[in-house]
Amino acid sequence: MMTRIRLFERAAYELYTAGKLPGFLHLSIGQEAVSTGACAALRHDDYMASTHRGHGDTLAKGVSVESAMAELFGRVTGACRAKGGSMHIADFSQGILGANGIIAAGIPIAVGAALSARLRKTDQVALAFFGDGATGSGPLHEGMNMSMLWRLPMIFVRQNNRYAESTPLAEHTGIVDIVQWACGYGMPAVRVDGNNVTEVYAAVAMAADRARAGEGPTFIECETYRHYGHNIGDPGTARPKDEVDDWKARDPLQSHRTRILESGLATETELSAIEAEERAKLDAAIAAAEAAPKPDLHEALEGLYVDEALGRMAIQGVRS
Amino acid sequence: MTLAAQSVTTTARDGREVTYRDAIRDAMVEELERDPSVFLIGEDLRDPWGGAYKTTVNVSAVFGNDRVINTPIAEESIVGAALGAALSGLRPVAELQYLDFVMRAMDAVVNQVAKVRYMSGGQAKVPLVIRAQGGGGRSSAAQHGNSLEAWLCHVPGLFIAHPATPYDAKGLLKTAIRLDDPVFFIEHKMLYMTKGFVPEDDYTIPFGVADIKRRGTDVTIVANSRMVLYALDAAETLATEGISAEVIDPRTLVPLDEATILESVAKTNHLVVVNEGVERCGWAAEVAAMVQKRAFSDLDAPIERVCTRNVPLPFQPDLENYVLPSVDDIIAAVKTSLYIS
Repeated sequence: MMTRIRLFERAAYELYTAGKLPGFLHLSIGQEAVSTGACAALRHDDYMASTHRGHGDTLAKGVSVESAMAELFGRVTGACRAKGGSMHIADFSQGILGANGIIAAGIPIAVGAALSARLRKTDQVALAFFGDGATGSGPLHEGMNMSMLWRLPMIFVRQNNRYAESTPLAEHTGIVDIVQWACGYGMPAVRVDGNNVTEVYAAVAMAADRARAGEGPTFIECETYRHYGHNIGDPGTARPKDEVDDWKARDPLQSHRTRILESGLATETELSAIEAEERAKLDAAIAAAEAAPKPDLHEALEGLYVDEALGRMAIQGVRS
Repeated sequence: MTLAAQSVTTTARDGREVTYRDAIRDAMVEELERDPSVFLIGEDLRDPWGGAYKTTVNVSAVFGNDRVINTPIAEESIVGAALGAALSGLRPVAELQYLDFVMRAMDAVVNQVAKVRYMSGGQAKVPLVIRAQGGGGRSSAAQHGNSLEAWLCHVPGLFIAHPATPYDAKGLLKTAIRLDDPVFFIEHKMLYMTKGFVPEDDYTIPFGVADIKRRGTDVTIVANSRMVLYALDAAETLATEGISAEVIDPRTLVPLDEATILESVAKTNHLVVVNEGVERCGWAAEVAAMVQKRAFSDLDAPIERVCTRNVPLPFQPDLENYVLPSVDDIIAAVKTSLYIS
């Protein structure tokens, strides 16, 4: 999965630079272990809300490479029929409540899904991803309070890549020890190496077990880094070069590869075969997306309301 | 022009007389009984308090705390959590204590609730009702008396119901709860104790169908919420002066029953639009723009607007009455429209 995300986003970068993709593009390259480890610890019917930097999260939770790539291209075969784009990839059949263009806005939605799971008496859990940039925002604090208050099956995963757009952590958050801060809500919290996929997996798996057992929410701090800038227009040079190089040397894919080889879980040949398979899948998805039609213009006026007759009236102002 | 499908007065004349407050409460109670996926969420809803305006009295006592959820004072998360629940199989009815407090929840309402279906390419279904009461008239000052319906009408993806009578409130709220789309349901704090008849049996009122609250031939008055009662008072006084006013209550602002308004204007050739929101960029302007575009040749006079003056609501009762629309303002606007000095 980490390979899938890395290849997908590298391709997105190249396609965007070549002028083939419209809109914004926020890459999570470097953060793949958080998306992958966390979502691997969830069940298919668990819920996940993501952020504007959500390609990795949504792929990891089950959106297909084909539909995600077609969405970036603005094709009708896209996950959201080209209505959402990079920041809004969603697949509700996979428990994905959506990526989200607004910082921290996915948190209350995930809290609501967790509340719903409890009210419906299922053992589903809900996980909200958010960046360090969301730390000072209201919905995070409200969501943590509500989750503790109602002992909800919620997992808060902070993807701490150390920058809110361009502003370093120390300039936007006064809290030095985030784990201690989360504990201030009475919420169990843990810090993990967000570049170590097995560490992230273990933490989220434990949180999910607690949540399913009715023991309430957990806060997981994942320390990680994005290799690229905030978005495609940002070369990432606002950050110290030493820092960028240092984190690139701690690449989550490389380190995991090394661990697998050292432990003998797979051979070099087997890993290369997986990578080749993912590359072929991605190439096919890009070719399919490029060949797929754009949506018809009338689609711009459709898909807003479930009740189509009332919706037409609301959009076009005439009774049908 | 399309003929209005249902332009007859549907206000019940028999059944049981109830307050607007109890009509709203009864709608929720009956829907809680009918559908186990319905639940209420908001501040101070549970017994014995039963809501800031007592619309949920004796509901948690009957249905239990899992169907009536008290929340922290955190409007963005009330709406956001209700959305999450709606996206995962439930039908929440969320309450914001004051319409003014929607400002604390605007991202959740506008960027999330209203857009998630569209942004997801039609995947998501949002069976969510957000209730809130607005309006002035009780010296609640500038932060507890706003009429923000125009803001909400400006948001693609929401339906907006704005009932004036107990009958309409109950029937529209039941429709709202049963729809699979998000509905913003706006009540008025000064209407809760007003009374009207509602049928004993289950009934719903379709969205997008105006109710002609009074028939007339000389002038059309389009009004909503509490302003419907003002318009009816004005029409009563005007009748004593030989002026026959037709009063149309659209009941839902989105979708808007344009046909019934246009049909009336074609008959009366004069239009006054009354809305409690401030005048500038308000709902009345939208109705006026629609009518001048689609029925310009039917108009014998400029369209008159009667709205709140473009200031925040002042606390002192005389000042508040001065800036809010009044029955006299409506009468004056009708006379202006009819060139009567």
